[in-house]
Amino acid sequence: MKKSVGQMLGKAGIRIPLILWTLAVLYPIFWMFLGSFKSNAEIYRSPWGFPEVYNLQNYIDAWTNYNIGTSVMNSLIVTLAGTALTLVLAIPTSYAIERINFRGSHFLFMLYVSSMMIPMVLGWIPLFFMLMELNLLDNIFGLAIVYAVSQLPFTIFILTSFISTIPRSLEEAAAIDGMSPYGVLWKIITPLSMSGIITVTIMNAIQFWNEYFMALIFLQSSQNYTLALAIDYISNEAQYTNAWGTLFAGLVIATVPVIILYAIFQRRIAQGMTEGAIKG
Amino acid sequence: MVQSKKQKYMFLTFCLVPTFVLFAIFTLYPLLSGLYYSFFDWSGASDNREFIGLDNYIRLMNDAIIPNTIMHDYFLVVTKVIGIMILALFFAVALTQLKLREAPLYRIVFFFPNIMSVVVIGILWTFIYNPNLGLVNSALDFLGFEHLARPWLGDEKWALPSLVFPSVWAGIGLFMLMLMGAISNIPKSYYEAVEIDGATKWQQFWRVTVPLIWPQIKISILYIVITTLNGSFVIVQVMTGGGPNNSTHVMGSYLYQQAFVQFNFGYGAAIGVMILVLSLITVIILQFLLRRDKVEY
Repeated sequence: MKKSVGQMLGKAGIRIPLILWTLAVLYPIFWMFLGSFKSNAEIYRSPWGFPEVYNLQNYIDAWTNYNIGTSVMNSLIVTLAGTALTLVLAIPTSYAIERINFRGSHFLFMLYVSSMMIPMVLGWIPLFFMLMELNLLDNIFGLAIVYAVSQLPFTIFILTSFISTIPRSLEEAAAIDGMSPYGVLWKIITPLSMSGIITVTIMNAIQFWNEYFMALIFLQSSQNYTLALAIDYISNEAQYTNAWGTLFAGLVIATVPVIILYAIFQRRIAQGMTEGAIKG
Repeated sequence: MVQSKKQKYMFLTFCLVPTFVLFAIFTLYPLLSGLYYSFFDWSGASDNREFIGLDNYIRLMNDAIIPNTIMHDYFLVVTKVIGIMILALFFAVALTQLKLREAPLYRIVFFFPNIMSVVVIGILWTFIYNPNLGLVNSALDFLGFEHLARPWLGDEKWALPSLVFPSVWAGIGLFMLMLMGAISNIPKSYYEAVEIDGATKWQQFWRVTVPLIWPQIKISILYIVITTLNGSFVIVQVMTGGGPNNSTHVMGSYLYQQAFVQFNFGYGAAIGVMILVLSLITVIILQFLLRRDKVEY
């Protein structure tokens, strides 16, 4: 079929908003990278252009003046401990809910899933005092536990749907061969739902790496700051010190791991997030 | 399966109990005791907690800032739903119907802000709105509209609307992908059938696309509403902290201010209960409003 002139024009016309939005998304991110290489004087002279020389002074400043290194370590620990704990807690429960008949299994599933819609902000006040009593306030492992539990509903929701696709015959065969249910869970179910486990783990890792508000409430001393708190702190200081370059370096350090994960797992992340949202 | 009852219950206990105990301690119990604390006057130290009945709620009714925070939340809800849905729907239709060669590139780029940290987004946009260095004022200068330049986040009238753009910017990708998934599931024959009837592209959009992806549109709207009511305070906290002069406080950021800055924990809990109640009511009303019979051709 021959395309009409109108259709050709239509296609070009549609491209304009798409390209504009691409620029709107990419430009601030590129500019954040560029700004991290500029001196403060240069940021004032031409905030939105390319740097004259690419220097790493801002990164050095962030590392020495603001202890970004400690915050990176804290964020890494919280992210790794949080994701590991989430899996340890979520995999057995997801399996039991999905595959073992017991009274209340549907209720339990609904309880977990519906808690995704509840605003947790109300719970943060009592949680603050509970963590204080447990000596887990201002403690990155305490924060990791809170994070892990906060992502439990989402993780259980995604994992049950993955486990439901595993054929029951595999478990039955293993059970006939004398494998215990613990063996089935560990040697059959876990490897076969690996794809789902990887997806939720990446999503949880990004979530924990990025999280800001709970860290703001539950961490206090600067040596325990996660990266989100550290850059927020630099940002507030920058109002007075004008250390914009250092701030951009902090933003870049916080964003690069997410970009790397996205570059590798783009499809999984997009799929995991849309599925998580469709729960409705 | 060859398994005794006892073994089965042992295994169930192993699977369910540790997880549920932690969930109960760190999610269910705090929510319930938040409700309980809302009846106390409490500045943090455990020995001076005083039961005051409904006084926190009476104070809530008389606090002149509260109605504003509610208004601000719903302002963000409405503007975000409109902004995100229009753009996401437009992009989703464009990328599925027009077989552009570079379509995957747009998908990848548009989705990325969805996984960026709210802190990074907030700080980036704070700088974009910076009165002297920011992109917005520079662009206005460049285009000859200097008189429109203003300290966006420092202006009581403009600060709140200025928060809408970062939220839309960060939110579109996810909903675009959800709608694209729905649109690509519509059989081609439906479009051919109405095309034979002489329907224009615009009519096809309203008569075929919208009714058939209605479930996903509804889910998207609900999701935006829930995440905004339950989480809009994060971007507010990062970008304005509720200022200038309380003009951007939403319910959540006001709760933070009352509880964790001014140590009125009981009053903060009452605000939390209000957030919970309002978001549940809103979701129920929306479910009802968005009900629409399933379309089948």
